[in-house]
Amino acid sequence: MQDFDSLKNVWQQPATDKPTLPGEIDINNKSKTTKMKLQQSQRHGSIMLVLTAIFIACLAIFGNLNFIHWYTYGGMVLIIIVCLVQAAFMYATYKKIRNIDDTVPPAEHLRQWETYYDLRKKQNTWNMPVYYIALNVAMAVYLIEIFTGRPLVNVVIFIAVYAAFMLFAYFYLDKKKIKREDRRLQKIIGELKAIEEQLSKTE
Amino acid sequence: MNQQQEFTNLYNEYGEGIKKLCLGYTGDAVLAQDLLQETFIAVWSNMQKFRGDAKWSTWIYRIAVNTCLTHLRKKKDTLMDIENTSLSMLSEEVNTKEQEVQLLYKCISRLQETDRLIITLVLEDKPYEEIASITGITETNLRVKIHRIKKQLTQIYNSYAGL
Repeated sequence: MQDFDSLKNVWQQPATDKPTLPGEIDINNKSKTTKMKLQQSQRHGSIMLVLTAIFIACLAIFGNLNFIHWYTYGGMVLIIIVCLVQAAFMYATYKKIRNIDDTVPPAEHLRQWETYYDLRKKQNTWNMPVYYIALNVAMAVYLIEIFTGRPLVNVVIFIAVYAAFMLFAYFYLDKKKIKREDRRLQKIIGELKAIEEQLSKTE
Repeated sequence: MNQQQEFTNLYNEYGEGIKKLCLGYTGDAVLAQDLLQETFIAVWSNMQKFRGDAKWSTWIYRIAVNTCLTHLRKKKDTLMDIENTSLSMLSEEVNTKEQEVQLLYKCISRLQETDRLIITLVLEDKPYEEIASITGITETNLRVKIHRIKKQLTQIYNSYAGL
């Protein structure tokens, strides 16, 4: 039968193979932290969207496209705007993660993570639908001139394939992903709340 | 002193203690190593923010506590498996000092998340005032908590050591 002081002696004894430190911590191995991984994915997505917008802008300006109607260029501008707005949105999320302070007391730290995951949960419900709708409206405007004068069968086949892909991507792939992500976020929020309660509970 | 030198000094001074905190929290050497790495990456990234309002030790241990508390969710299932198998194996033969230490780590990892961190800090002989500052719990509440956790840990340890 041991009392707490004996346990303390066990803990503090100079064990022969007590936990030893590795030679050095690899501070450049940034992919290791959860926070940095989350930041990276948002920043990477944001950069890719900006590059896409730049590519489309270059195509419109230097591509000798010679469209007759202004609204075809308008469609391209709309696609650029949608990409840039989504990029700004992802960058804002990246900054929110970066602003989570690791040095504040635990309860506050847990609350900051909880707020972030709560925000992600809300974003999941509206961000992707809005992004899909806006992108497809812009594509529709762009395609009006492209389709003018083409055989009706070709146009119908293209629209059918395009719409089928978009509907499959949105209603099957994305919904499935969002559902899974929602469950994960809910679990994380629940666990953070539970730990927060442990901290704030008065005995 | 530049940031790299200061960081190396902090790592040499507090690394061992932080690793023990992480070991007590997870009960597993590999996970503890991950948490130690994450903690010191966070220390490196936040060093410029340190204003000297608290001691380095309080500041670093607080980062370690935050890292542990937000890391657990990913490892919870693995952790429970490790605990269950290792505890039954260890309790069969607790006869060397090292096995006693290992059993103690495993017993700590059976406590609630925040309790593990608090008791590890107590075992490290951190003053109550500093533990209160690290965890953000009032000193009065902390004393009551510590009293309860000590009792709980002793019971768990004795129940396994006595098998």
